[in-house]
Amino acid sequence: MEDSHLAPPDSTPSAAGSDATLQRKHAAMLERLSNLHQSRVAQKPNSETDSIQSFLNRFTESKLSIESQLSRISQTSSSSYPSNSPKPELENVAVSISTLEKLVAESSYLLPSYEVRTCLKTISDLKQSLDDVTSRVIPKKKFSFKNKKKAASAIYSIPPPPQSDVVNEESDELPKLGSENVGFVSPGFRAKENEVLVKEFNRDFEIGEFTLSDLKGCEVRLKGCLRAFFVNKLKDCKVFVGPVFGSVLIEEVEGCVFVLASHQIRIHNAKKCDFYLRVRSRPIIEDSNGVRFGPYCLRYDGIEKDLEEANLSEETGNWANVDDFRWLRAVQSPNWSVLPENDRVEMVHIS
Amino acid sequence: MGLLSIIRKIKRKEKEMRILMVGLDNSGKTTIVLKINGEDTSVISPTLGFNIKTIAYQKYALNIWDVGGQKTIRSYWRNYFEQTDGLVWVVDSSDLRRLDDCKYELHNLLKEERLSGASLLIFANKQDIQGSLSPDEIAKVLNLEAMDKSRHWRIVGCSAYTGEGLLEGFDWLVQDIASRIYMLD
Repeated sequence: MEDSHLAPPDSTPSAAGSDATLQRKHAAMLERLSNLHQSRVAQKPNSETDSIQSFLNRFTESKLSIESQLSRISQTSSSSYPSNSPKPELENVAVSISTLEKLVAESSYLLPSYEVRTCLKTISDLKQSLDDVTSRVIPKKKFSFKNKKKAASAIYSIPPPPQSDVVNEESDELPKLGSENVGFVSPGFRAKENEVLVKEFNRDFEIGEFTLSDLKGCEVRLKGCLRAFFVNKLKDCKVFVGPVFGSVLIEEVEGCVFVLASHQIRIHNAKKCDFYLRVRSRPIIEDSNGVRFGPYCLRYDGIEKDLEEANLSEETGNWANVDDFRWLRAVQSPNWSVLPENDRVEMVHIS
Repeated sequence: MGLLSIIRKIKRKEKEMRILMVGLDNSGKTTIVLKINGEDTSVISPTLGFNIKTIAYQKYALNIWDVGGQKTIRSYWRNYFEQTDGLVWVVDSSDLRRLDDCKYELHNLLKEERLSGASLLIFANKQDIQGSLSPDEIAKVLNLEAMDKSRHWRIVGCSAYTGEGLLEGFDWLVQDIASRIYMLD
């Protein structure tokens, strides 16, 4: 009778022999069930890591194939003068890059954010090298159709500024259109090291744009109003600028201090920089880190008038309302901070 | 009758047009939309995400989708491609350094099948800034002539700051779309 107590309730107590078989069968069944359950439980996370892995494999594969295509294109066309244009091939590469981008976007929901970021970085690198190869490989005459349908296509035109004649020349460098090639059209300071660069914008002239690019260890003082301001590739510089009543675009800066007033400010790829701003709208950062913000603190003779003219005489407090496009969450972005008050510079006077 | 055909019917009745505004960041997309709608343009933050505006224009209702142009969010543009009647590509004519980027992104966009039927208006914006390129020059740099002959396109110089050129551009776009989808008018 004791035996039957130990047996599971559904096993009918009968002869000792059949009881034992039943018990064995039952135990086997329980085990099967629990195995099944476990495999079901395990399946889900497994498939997720599997698909991440398979995504990464696919990603790496296409990345390698794109890279090899690019290097082949650049080699074949540099070794001999290309008789047939490499353009279709380059277009293929562009298509594969965008397919890859699509793949990342589609898989982004299951990828850890780190992977998404590295993948996006890889894609932008690929695009960059495609651009490089394209500008090296495509024959320069590409841009020489100029008499077709021009009048029909433009229905508004202002006389081009005198300097831009150079752009119209069929210069060999034109298709590349990098900063060096067309950049000279706009006024600015470029490629200087350890200098103090000063410019005062005369109110009698029409106010335009100004560019700073490829500066190292310089101090830049710009007085007067500007319409648009572009900054690119600055290292260890100090930049003091009067009011800009349009937008400011800053890219690739490191170890710099900026004192700026403007209607819109966009900051891309900045590392370890301090910005003293007055902005009418919310400043934004993208792909930046270690950037700190404080209020505008520039003085020169006549700045009040300039600020008023540019509609920037009021402090809006927006210097502290920074949007980080790489950090779309409610918690504070780790990429930027408000400058602690005792780290801030005093009022800057320039003359 | 499927949902899609019902929507199409309603759309036809209300003479609605769906217009997608894209372009690099800092090109002035939001300013253009606000200016054409007669709104204040003095305080505009860079667009995080998108804005939708419905504007009555002539006898049509323009449904304008203004999508942010920052690099981080460009990959989301494709979420807005469906059912687009008109595409507005905005160029900052004073940003010479990034014209290459601009060209790349535009041609990338035009490869998209879902946009193949859309009329394309290119705004060469910021013509009021001294030193900006003219629409002709922009057309050359962007290689617009090489564009697929089957696409209806046009480049118009404008200034969202002064408002110049905006109506000309939208007039063309709306007429072009209307002649395609409301042939009976």
